[in-house]
Amino acid sequence: MTDGVGDAEYIELHTASAFSFLAAASQPEALAERAQQLNMPALALADRNGLYGIARFHTMAKKCGIRAHIGAEIAVNSFGSQLTPPSWLPHQFPAAPPRLLLLCASQAGYQNLCQLITRFKMREASKAEGAATLDDLEEFSAGLICLTGGDEGPLAATLAREGSAAARKHANRLASIYGRGNLYLELQRHHQREEECRNQSLLSLAGSLNLPVIATNGVRYATETDREILDVLTSIHHHTSLDRAGRLLSYNDARELRPAAHMAALFAYLPEAIANTRIVSDRLEFTLDNLGYEFPHAPVPDGDTMDSFLEKRVAEGVLKRYGSPAKRHLLAKARAQVAHELKLIAKLGFAGYFLIVWEVVRYCQQHGILAQGRGSAANSAVCYALEITAVDPVGMELLFERFLNENRGEWPDIDLDLPSGDQREQVIQHVYERYGQLGAAMTANVISYRGRSAAREVGKALGFDDDQLARLSGLVGHWEWRGENDTMARNFQQAGFDARHPRIAKYLDLCMRMQNLPRHLGQHSGGMVICAGMLNRVVPLERASMPGRTVIQWDKEDCADLGLIKVDLLGLGMMAVLKDCIEIIPTHYKQEIDLATLPEDPVVYQTLCKADTVGMFQVESRAQMASIPHNAPTRFYDLVVQVAIIRPGPIVGKMMHPYMRRRQGKEEVTYAHPSLEPVLKRTLGVPLFQEQLLRMAMTVASFTGAEAEELRRAVGMRRSMQRMKDLEGRLRDGMTRNGIGPEAQDNIVQGISSFAMYGFPESHAASFALIAYASAYLKVHYLAAFTCGLLNNQPMGFYSPAVLIKDAQRHGLRVRPICVQHSHWLCTLEPASGNLNLPGTLGAPGPSPLGTRASTNSQQPAEATLSLRIGLNYIKGLRQSSAAAILESRNHAGVFASIDDLAQRVPTLNRKELVALASAGALKALGEVAHRRDALWQVEQAGRPVGPLLRSAAPTSSAATPLRAMTTDERLAADYAGTGITTGPHPMAYQRESLRQQGILSAQDLETRTGTPHVRIAGRVICRQRPGTAKGFVFLSLEDETGIANIILTPDAFEQNRLVVTRTRFLIVAGKLQNQDGVVHVKAHTLTPLSAPTAGPDQARNFH
Amino acid sequence: MDRRLCMGTIGEPSMKQELYACITAAEFPAQALLRLRTDLESEPVAVLEGRAPLETVCSLNRPARLKGAALHMTRLEAEGIQDLRLLPRSEETETAARAALLECAAHFSPRIEDVSRGTACACVLDIAGTERLFGPPQTLAERLRASLASAGFRTSIAVSANFHTARLKAAATRGITVIPRQQESAALSKLPLSGLGLDAEPAETFAIWGIQTLGELAELPEIDLITRLGLQAAEWRSLALGALPHTFQPIEAEFALKEFCAFDTPVEQSDSLLFVAARMIDCLVARASTRAFALASLVLHMELEGGRVYRRVIRPATPTIDRKFLLKLLHLEIAAHPPQAAILLVALTAEAGQSSKVQLGLFAPQMPEPSRLDVTIARLKAIAGEDRVGSPVLEDTHRPGSFHLESFVVADSASALQAERPHLALRRVRPALPVRVELRDLKPVAFHDNQRRFKVAAAYGPWKTSGCWWSADGWNTEEWDVLAETTAGSVACLLVRNHQLSKNGRSVWQLEAYYD
Repeated sequence: MTDGVGDAEYIELHTASAFSFLAAASQPEALAERAQQLNMPALALADRNGLYGIARFHTMAKKCGIRAHIGAEIAVNSFGSQLTPPSWLPHQFPAAPPRLLLLCASQAGYQNLCQLITRFKMREASKAEGAATLDDLEEFSAGLICLTGGDEGPLAATLAREGSAAARKHANRLASIYGRGNLYLELQRHHQREEECRNQSLLSLAGSLNLPVIATNGVRYATETDREILDVLTSIHHHTSLDRAGRLLSYNDARELRPAAHMAALFAYLPEAIANTRIVSDRLEFTLDNLGYEFPHAPVPDGDTMDSFLEKRVAEGVLKRYGSPAKRHLLAKARAQVAHELKLIAKLGFAGYFLIVWEVVRYCQQHGILAQGRGSAANSAVCYALEITAVDPVGMELLFERFLNENRGEWPDIDLDLPSGDQREQVIQHVYERYGQLGAAMTANVISYRGRSAAREVGKALGFDDDQLARLSGLVGHWEWRGENDTMARNFQQAGFDARHPRIAKYLDLCMRMQNLPRHLGQHSGGMVICAGMLNRVVPLERASMPGRTVIQWDKEDCADLGLIKVDLLGLGMMAVLKDCIEIIPTHYKQEIDLATLPEDPVVYQTLCKADTVGMFQVESRAQMASIPHNAPTRFYDLVVQVAIIRPGPIVGKMMHPYMRRRQGKEEVTYAHPSLEPVLKRTLGVPLFQEQLLRMAMTVASFTGAEAEELRRAVGMRRSMQRMKDLEGRLRDGMTRNGIGPEAQDNIVQGISSFAMYGFPESHAASFALIAYASAYLKVHYLAAFTCGLLNNQPMGFYSPAVLIKDAQRHGLRVRPICVQHSHWLCTLEPASGNLNLPGTLGAPGPSPLGTRASTNSQQPAEATLSLRIGLNYIKGLRQSSAAAILESRNHAGVFASIDDLAQRVPTLNRKELVALASAGALKALGEVAHRRDALWQVEQAGRPVGPLLRSAAPTSSAATPLRAMTTDERLAADYAGTGITTGPHPMAYQRESLRQQGILSAQDLETRTGTPHVRIAGRVICRQRPGTAKGFVFLSLEDETGIANIILTPDAFEQNRLVVTRTRFLIVAGKLQNQDGVVHVKAHTLTPLSAPTAGPDQARNFH
Repeated sequence: MDRRLCMGTIGEPSMKQELYACITAAEFPAQALLRLRTDLESEPVAVLEGRAPLETVCSLNRPARLKGAALHMTRLEAEGIQDLRLLPRSEETETAARAALLECAAHFSPRIEDVSRGTACACVLDIAGTERLFGPPQTLAERLRASLASAGFRTSIAVSANFHTARLKAAATRGITVIPRQQESAALSKLPLSGLGLDAEPAETFAIWGIQTLGELAELPEIDLITRLGLQAAEWRSLALGALPHTFQPIEAEFALKEFCAFDTPVEQSDSLLFVAARMIDCLVARASTRAFALASLVLHMELEGGRVYRRVIRPATPTIDRKFLLKLLHLEIAAHPPQAAILLVALTAEAGQSSKVQLGLFAPQMPEPSRLDVTIARLKAIAGEDRVGSPVLEDTHRPGSFHLESFVVADSASALQAERPHLALRRVRPALPVRVELRDLKPVAFHDNQRRFKVAAAYGPWKTSGCWWSADGWNTEEWDVLAETTAGSVACLLVRNHQLSKNGRSVWQLEAYYD
């Protein structure tokens, strides 16, 4: 590296980052850092056809103290195609339009660049690169400086193919578009002969046209070693291997960010080319600090401003929310609160945003779509009054400042939970319709290389075969916790790769270096940016892969960094379940249900206290089950705490155990200072929520809400040590003024520091707790409807359908198997009376499907009259159109008489589908079907019908099937293989007698076990977890016919049994029984595969 | 093969009844390697196949299996097993072992059919009518197995009147099994269905039907089975019943074109050798001609005094029966590579090929006779080497000077030559001339080629290229176009600095070419 006055003369103006997607190899941050190392005062980032990386670049450049110039390489299809090697040289270059480099000199230039990119991207019918036309360039030329590009530019190709006359024509055309002062002929020197020849031609052109020249290096990576990454990305981009990529790969490694002195030496013969970089850099006044984004405007009636209109709607809402006798006592307080909030909203100019979200919620209400705001918005009484959120912030004394405060740069962020699936899409499309294609778009999601994808794609580039790659990607761990042994090198070793071999070592090295590089742009699950018609001037928009969707080129962090407001329209599976329940319950239970007015029911809390929570929202996880009995919730706020406490934050912040001990009366409730009692009383003196941090600062140090929020952010992000020190000083000063002693001050500061980073917003917890309570209530009172909803909205939640069904059966629900005569596409409820096909009655009789716990549970009267019929959608390989044809034929001409009748009436059913139906037992109710194998025997003939000519000559089959009926094991295997579930007895039920003889206990036995702590237990692994907060401990859930047993493995025990733990479906676990206040665990020391059951779902759900 | 209905018991001597003995040597890659290595007999051994570093276990012996080794393990996994010996798979060894096994079997019957599958080596012997020679089937099987064991093979043998029954039984059982007539079905009934080697779809259907053994398959009604699974199902059922007939396809005696001559006294003159070789070529051509073949290649193998071996391969461009031409090629080859000692023994092996025929067109342009062009090319190849004659074709790589040779083809028209061409010609120095270069400010100012000193008047560069960084075959070079001056005048040349070939940390400079 060199320093010196001369160095600063050169500014690199042509740099692409990895956000050129497979065309460059360094992150924008790495480029900015490298520029700082090289003492370059500014750097321009210009990615291919987009501004994908500029937000990160801008943020990092600020940190590095360099100026971030913004630009893009724009493909133009009016100049023929890009330069390729001459025809006599073998090569694989595809035709591509040449690219110009456009740099933003002013805000108008930036807005033009965004519009230009949006114009040609949106011209495409689907997600595509696209290219601009000369007309586009002309329309959006103001404020932009154009560089003609290197070998990817139009002049390089034209000079090589058509000569200097044609190149002169193109240069003149560009000069007429951008103006002579804004067009620079670009010279690059990468130690290639052809390039020198081109440079001579360009110089001659520049002289004759009186155009300035400029030096750039066409940077594709920060340092020369990254050339390897670029070559790998090139291979991936062209779907070939490095060995076969040939001339597509880099010629040499000269496209790094070069020191200014190096560039100056290279262009020593042409100092003006270097000097011009400085001149252009000085002209590039635009930075992202000056984005020009304005808050969206909401349409309001004449005579109203957005503020007045919002005020009126809020006033109506307050009356509606707090007008009832039960809440009337809060009315005055609520009015005061909304007045405070409205004042701030008006001051910050956010009324339009609230009205836009309100409009979305109103649309949902009008169309019967459940919608509920979550996140910090639930702190706002305005949001509650507008029915955006469902949590009463006044009643719960939530802190508004956590949501919004006066500080510059604080934007409101409202997330709406919607039922996942079609209804969410309906709402998204409504937003598009209302605000126009250029007024709203989804935020992007940058898909980056991770362990598995890097291993696979780099392996392909290096020429490894599919088997080897599959073996490796299967082993690259996705556990959240990564122990010392969970390195990429270890994964390679386990996959049988010898990391000592040079090629494997290179493979490993490349995989590590590829981590986090962007792969392509996806769309965020629900984030929408709304800008009322002008979004395309703020950020380029493009088509998403999904029809009818557009996406901006930034992800949600970028949006937050640059101050774009977004609304998250998130799909929540449980919302869809709740919606299903609202529809099912009136039909089958003859009762109306209103989720907003569910009563606080002791039975529901008793169920929660028993950790009987499979399927319930947010409280069904293994860790929740282990802690909920300690918390023993008896009211809604307990549930709010419960939802919040099993999070990485409270666990890492060591808040969970003190709270639980205090909750159980094992520890005295104390406060760091008596003045904090009102703030922390609800959580027994233990700070759990971010709002409490704010209130603590406001109470002890007289901070304003905004200051307190600033403190939370500063402590939480730990970005600026100086800022934190200042704030801590102010906090201590405030406490001193309030007469708090040094010791108490230390305690408070310590308390704030330790949990600020991890605390959870109380409002968010409350929003989730509402849904959690609703799910618990529905499960307890409307089990059939709830289970039906769960099964129809998979995948969701923590457990597989197989586990959900077994749990429902243990609670007394009759689950009927799939039947071609009765099943619909989705699961449905049926009256329990009539011809019941009880599970387990096919062939050999089996144990009761209800298990032993069923008798102990109070069975709801409704469940006695209802049963759940599994839908045809659970049959693997059955097309929905075929199922629709079955239903249509059944509705039209009644039930099917036989398998032949089915095959003839539903000719769209192919042989494979018939076999799938037969194998799953869905044909057993058809006439002349003795058992499942009989159906399989019959469908093989029905699936291969004899042609009409030979039908009479066809041999008559013998009446009885020669196949024996399936054994229990075979039937289970067929169930799981064909549907992933079984409605019959649990596989472990068949082993119970034998297991009992061996002294192996059931899950239910553990609860009542006394005496010796050493036990053995067996079951099916339904869940494996290695949480990031658990220091390498692994948690397994073993299910049997009586319930679910919890197993804990120490890191050592896991290492010793790694293969058994990760690959075996049925386990015998020996270990020490631990029963802490009703929470039962087995601390395993020995794990052995249980070989007896031959069936089981393919895999457990693994959470990481 | 006469397929008359066989009645009576298997022990009855009869010339008219079919009788087969199947030999199966499982884990043949391992057996082939271990049969001559008695020191490894009781050691755990696994055989690896595949290209490094992606080798996997393809075969292993019993001790290895007991140690925990398994098929398809990678080398690294196998290396993790203590005391496990890993050997690379050797096709030559397996071919030799297979030949030894067949030779052993041939002592018991000349009619042998190869039925090898996967990594097992298996063959079926037609032993009908051998009772008088070798005794009853049980005795024959015991003698056969003992004979194979003495040759170093562990085998299982099944004897049956049905070809496929013998084959299936031998593959699935150990030791010797003699299946009495009419008992084929019973003998096969317990064998797993997988022995039939069915495709995935029927195998899946049988699995879901619960049909796991051949016996269960045999019990299914034939017509119902055919209506469900097609006519192939009848064949599978017959196989399971031990009733599927078979047309025996014995291995034919190998047609080998080989001549051999050992001299009484060592021969030092190549003329004497050519005299013998001419006679040998005549014989080979005559034998090949009787089967309408020509000679595609000749392998000359000679043993020389002092124990050395001389081996050359002559491959004419097209198979030929032109004795003179072949002798000329042989002569050229020996002249180009004279043996370094007196010759004790000469063997000439030929590979048969189809003789080439060319249809000449009435209006075709006058061209050299293709055979003459071939002869010329063959002569050139004989002189220059197989891969050094042809048309040069550039490769798709940035590697400087990278090309390969492809066979000459006559261009359809001259248009192909009209394509864009580079304008500058280089006169390449082959091999490149090592030079010592004096640098100033990293630019060459002079160089020496051990004879002369060139002063660099002008230097343009460096032109840098590098690639193949992921393999040992990478390159990283820097080129300079220089105008060099000597007392004799000036010359434009290309200097190359090869960073990859650096010795003692210093790059190697070479004079690569002169500009014309």
